[in-house]
Amino acid sequence: MSWWTRVRSWTKSTVRSTRMERDMDEEMRFHVEAHATELMKRGMTREKALRQARLEFGGLETAKAQCRDAVGVSFLETLMQDLRHSVRGMLRTPVFALTAVIVLALGIGATTAIFSVVDAVLLRPLAYRDSGRLVTILMSGTGPVSVANYIDWRDQSRSFSTMGAADYWSPNLTGVDSPEHITGLKVTQNLFPMLGIEPMLGRLFLEGEDKDGADREVILSHRLWQRRFSSDPAVLGKPIVLDGNAFVIVGVMPPEFQFAPFWATKAELWVPNAFGARIHSRGGNSLRIFARLKDGVSLTQARAEIASITARLEQQFPGTNRNVVVTPLKEKVVGSIETPLLVLLAAVGFVLLITCANVAHMLLARAATRQKEIAVRAALGARRGRLIRQFLTESILLGGVGGALGLLLAVLGTRALIALSPANIPRVQTVSIDAHAALFLLAATILTSVGFGLVPALQASSVNVNDTLKEGGRGGTEGVQRNRLRSLLVVSEFALALMLLIGAGLMIRTFAALEAVDPGFNPHHVISMIVSVAGSKEAEPGRREFFYRQLIERVRSLPGVEAAGAINHLPLAGDLWGWSFLVEGRPKPRPGEAPKAVYRMVTPGYFAAMRLPIVRGHDITDADNITAPGVVIINEQAARQYWPGEDPIGKRVSFDDDTTNPTNWLTVIGIAKDAKQDNWTDKATPEAYLAAFQNHDYIGDSGTEASKHMDYITLVARSVGDPAALASEMKQAAWSFDRNLAISQVVTMDGVVAEANAQPRFEMMLLSIFAAVALVLAAVGIYGMISYSASQRTHEIGVRMSLGATRGDVLLLVVRQGIWLAVAGSAAGLTGSLLLSRLMGGLLYGVKPTDPVTFAAVAFGLAVVAMLACYIPARRAMRVDPMAALRYE
Amino acid sequence: MSKQLDLLQGTLDMLILKAISLSPLHGYGILLRIQQISNKRLEIQQGSLYPALYRLEHHGWITSEWGESENNRRARYYRLTSTGKRQLQAETERWNEMTAVIAGILQATPEQL
Repeated sequence: MSWWTRVRSWTKSTVRSTRMERDMDEEMRFHVEAHATELMKRGMTREKALRQARLEFGGLETAKAQCRDAVGVSFLETLMQDLRHSVRGMLRTPVFALTAVIVLALGIGATTAIFSVVDAVLLRPLAYRDSGRLVTILMSGTGPVSVANYIDWRDQSRSFSTMGAADYWSPNLTGVDSPEHITGLKVTQNLFPMLGIEPMLGRLFLEGEDKDGADREVILSHRLWQRRFSSDPAVLGKPIVLDGNAFVIVGVMPPEFQFAPFWATKAELWVPNAFGARIHSRGGNSLRIFARLKDGVSLTQARAEIASITARLEQQFPGTNRNVVVTPLKEKVVGSIETPLLVLLAAVGFVLLITCANVAHMLLARAATRQKEIAVRAALGARRGRLIRQFLTESILLGGVGGALGLLLAVLGTRALIALSPANIPRVQTVSIDAHAALFLLAATILTSVGFGLVPALQASSVNVNDTLKEGGRGGTEGVQRNRLRSLLVVSEFALALMLLIGAGLMIRTFAALEAVDPGFNPHHVISMIVSVAGSKEAEPGRREFFYRQLIERVRSLPGVEAAGAINHLPLAGDLWGWSFLVEGRPKPRPGEAPKAVYRMVTPGYFAAMRLPIVRGHDITDADNITAPGVVIINEQAARQYWPGEDPIGKRVSFDDDTTNPTNWLTVIGIAKDAKQDNWTDKATPEAYLAAFQNHDYIGDSGTEASKHMDYITLVARSVGDPAALASEMKQAAWSFDRNLAISQVVTMDGVVAEANAQPRFEMMLLSIFAAVALVLAAVGIYGMISYSASQRTHEIGVRMSLGATRGDVLLLVVRQGIWLAVAGSAAGLTGSLLLSRLMGGLLYGVKPTDPVTFAAVAFGLAVVAMLACYIPARRAMRVDPMAALRYE
Repeated sequence: MSKQLDLLQGTLDMLILKAISLSPLHGYGILLRIQQISNKRLEIQQGSLYPALYRLEHHGWITSEWGESENNRRARYYRLTSTGKRQLQAETERWNEMTAVIAGILQATPEQL
């Protein structure tokens, strides 16, 4: 018989099963009546003939059932029967069913939510064509590259099919209602084709468009297109004004497209990169290089080639080609986030294991109490396979309901995770419960269901019918072996939960240590925003200083503002410029040994607004202008490091090599407290605060290249109340001078600090959620185990009590069993943690991976939970009435 | 009429196939045909006829359609399909072979050994 006939017959009988019922009825009735007619011909009465005919036919219903069996309706029927039976069974023991479903939903939901994040961030490749072949080429693996080097590498190398470059560029979008500072990139024309991405609208850059004078096209990101151009499909060919220059929109990228994959991850527009005079420049590193390996060329070969090219160039141009590193793009993007995600993935695995173990031993316990039912069914002729099938149906039903609830939890959980995740996790925007995650969920559900369903099913179905039934009304006492298996499950649950709790505990200690870090300034009640003059009339050199001073004055006069000032780059949020300097009266240092400091430019009022204390000396004042002698404030670390045993105040330093020009000498007038600069956890490094209004670049009248990039200030204001409430008034204050001022990065300092610690907080939160889930599951596990075995021992307890055991003895008897489980689990868990927690080393701050406090606290806490979980069933056992327990026999 | 014989296990299918190979029949007709040919010497459980019919149809050896019976009632008629014909032939051959072998064994005499 072909499979086709089988399928056709089966579908026919299933789809038209009502028709089949009708047909059978009619056919058999016809048979009986035809036979009766025959009998009547022999002289029987109709009534008698019909009875006789029915009798000879035999059981009508049996025949029908056999017909149904014959065409295989039985599969569905059996399934429905099993399902009905299972549902009825669950409803009879709602506590068991509910617990199992909740356990499963929690386990599967949490696992899937995290898996979705891990999948999007770590497992799914970068959304470029054949992204495994893409590499970055950077100085020391992180630093930007000069234009001349890029051109030499590109032209001399043979290992790459394309080598492109991108420059960070954040222009002001002006000529519109609310001007905006936008993050963008200048890219070489070959970059997008190298990625293998097609635009959603319009075109990519054409050959030659990255030449000087032709570079006036712009490609928009999908988001910018939606946000600023209301998703207008006719946007192509329209002009937009960026930094005062007119550009033409030639394309819009698809929504999922993101470039650059690391540093400038928020880029929203791309323009061609015309290098101009920079093609000969080996200083001024600003390019990030992206390349695609040629087919058949290995990474090692490409690295060797770049090494030989750069060695040659280094000889030719010393100091320009040292330590050039080729890194696979994926490694570059994922690198920093890999450890936390793998730790989380391990946590996911643990929770899933705990879930399975938990439900498995719940089902084992249940199977034990159902031995009699199974024995009866076996005695009535149920085959072993049939019993196993019934058990599997039950566990798959549990798994299905749990999985469905878990999916719901996962959807909600993923949304929460996206909302709570720090912005610097790459590709977190693309996280969703998609096919990958759904597949994972499905696999998890099936594995869990079958896994925990099969063991009890096999065990229960090998029940010895005679023995079980012979034991009469008492229900079976379970075998030692099964008890051991269940104990093992509880112990492993306990161990896994302990490991998760220790992981979470270490993260909580890390976070507490981070919170305790003193940033030097007081971040509460501070708001800041970047005001850029590019493209506005305030950009004129003669106007800038006057405008900045007036703007700060106006902000200061706003109601609710306590202090205000400005800085070029906000600590923890903005760029970081380092510079070397000379100290007056000291010999000229050898190259590379000059004192260095992070270099910030501030206006009067900045220190007050940040509440960054000047520990010695005094603050910069309004009198420190372009005509006054230069002043500088250094931080404590600079004082310690460069003036040990000396008082730096009154000493003079120069950040310019030209020491003959007296205006380059700056007098140290104050020492500020050490403040955090780039990273929250960095140790203090030397820092210098220059007076912004004494700097020609900053006020825009120097005419240098550098001054073109210093056309913005970061306003900082301290508020009396909620700082965020000041945002719109501060914006209006700026726009009251000029509607074309671009305002960006409106943030509170609290927000900046939170962002700086977002990743450890995120990790702590996720691990804590997992640990909490694990704790609940393990508690449920030990509680279930103890209360079940206590209820099985009711009879024994009755005997003991009637022989004189006190309630205390009974309590001890029951709790002792739980304590043994807890001790064994803790021992295993502590050992596992000692082995595994060092993998977390990179995530921790201010705490060792083997922190004894955390280990002890977690073990103790878990022991308390275990005691509680044992105490409830133990108390119930204590209340056993010996007479009732014995009579029960 | 001699004593009725119980049907040998597994032979009902073959008898049904043979019965309807002569002409399409409804269930009751099949029963009558077998009884008629066998001179009522075979005892057939009437109820067991239908599961056998459904099984054969499920295998694709016979098909059915509703038609009118001799006394103008709606009845379901079964007919052999081409695979059913082949099946009948195969089963007949196997049966003949089997009976010949068994008959040979049963007729064996000491001299033959």
